[in-house]
Amino acid sequence: MWGGVRGGGGLAARLLGAARSSARSKQELFSTSSMLSKQKDKSAASKDGSPEGAAKKQEDGAGTPKQQLLDIIGDMKVEVSYRKKLQQLKASESKKQAMAKLEGPDSEGSVPQGVTEDTQRGKPLNPELVKAASAVASSLPRNKKQTESELLAQLRRHEETTDQQKKGGIINIRNVISEMTIKRQSPAQRGTRTSRRISLQLDEDDKRLRRERSSALSMDSRRSLKVGKRLNIFTKASTEPEHALETVSSPTIWDLEFAKEVAAVTAQPPRNGFEEMIQWTKEGIMWEFPIDNEVGMEDDAEFHEHIFLEKHLEGFPKEGPIRHFMELVICGLSKNPYLSVKQKVEHIEWFQKYFEEKKELLQEI
Amino acid sequence: MAAAALSWALRAARQVLPSPCPGQVRSYYVDWRMVRDFKRRKVAYEHADERLRINAIRKNAILPKELQEVADKEIAALPRDSCPVRIRNRCVLTSRPRGVKRRWRLSRIVFRHFADHAQMSGVQRAMW
Repeated sequence: MWGGVRGGGGLAARLLGAARSSARSKQELFSTSSMLSKQKDKSAASKDGSPEGAAKKQEDGAGTPKQQLLDIIGDMKVEVSYRKKLQQLKASESKKQAMAKLEGPDSEGSVPQGVTEDTQRGKPLNPELVKAASAVASSLPRNKKQTESELLAQLRRHEETTDQQKKGGIINIRNVISEMTIKRQSPAQRGTRTSRRISLQLDEDDKRLRRERSSALSMDSRRSLKVGKRLNIFTKASTEPEHALETVSSPTIWDLEFAKEVAAVTAQPPRNGFEEMIQWTKEGIMWEFPIDNEVGMEDDAEFHEHIFLEKHLEGFPKEGPIRHFMELVICGLSKNPYLSVKQKVEHIEWFQKYFEEKKELLQEI
Repeated sequence: MAAAALSWALRAARQVLPSPCPGQVRSYYVDWRMVRDFKRRKVAYEHADERLRINAIRKNAILPKELQEVADKEIAALPRDSCPVRIRNRCVLTSRPRGVKRRWRLSRIVFRHFADHAQMSGVQRAMW
């Protein structure tokens, strides 16, 4: 379709995509082209034009953006790849289909015919898009009219799909699904899959499309979704109401004794090594596997609080042997992994207190 | 540090074994020397941080010597039992001061007794 222009194909698709997506298609075109263009004066002109209205853009001259496009595409390298050939084939097939749908008899649409075909259709394409398509097509080496018609056909198809999605139309999806082959699934797989589909249904953020797809799929599959026990895997809110805590004033001694008796009776001696290990883990004799190296260590402080302790040195004089000494202390503390941040801070504060008490002595020296 | 020593001494002296397991029930310290050792451990634990900090000031080439002399006097003023040097790792069961293996906290005689009766987990008579 693109005649083997790899970069050009990508660029054009991007441009067209950008043009299609937003209403301000002209501005998008300009902005993308300005980013890529090497000629700075033209890009400056286009950038200046971008904040202004679209009408003024058109006045700037269809020549400059088109020329930019052409220049860019001309600069890009031409590569022929197998993938592109496939795409070309597909595009030609799709184009033929599109052409078959059209009322116009001509299979190879020329530029003015292409325009008339657009106007014949219910939704006229953006004239800017048409211009862009024509520019791209004119730059490509191979059959220009054919490429242009193909581009326009693709654009049209995209417009249709987006409109249908907006309306929530089912038609295309049904067509798609009818073409799909039904897989034979084992009942086990079916069970898991139905649970997954149930989850899709229960999801509140469902769009209309998803529901239709799932309903369509359920019709296709042998088993319906609503039949069967709910697994309640993904339901958040439990249906059981939270019983209000039965307030017991204080568990009586008899209750405690009863509980102890029950525990003693029910705690059978372990039948095998596994149960023994379970019991030990519950008691705390055995560690929990996989071993967590940080069991019991709840150091919430980040590493920088451990290492950068200079902010605690504010109470000390800035020069002199005391400062030197305290800096060594801090150096040692920063390397100590066994103390918590609190302990380190206490350490420094003790020194601060000590040196304040000895201030008179220090002043004599 | 001394905390670990303290805790095991506590446990050794006051430990009441759980009912299902047969063994000794020790509700007293073995002798007065053990009691004194336990007291020393407790006091040493309490003053450990202070001693560390004052010693850091003393064993210093940077701070002025007058300050270090003051620190010397201060550390001497602390209770005598606060120094960790006075702690002796006695046997937990017999309070024997010598011949105590650190890993098991037992004197050699007690260790041998238990090992021969197969009551020491993972301990075997050496033969090579």
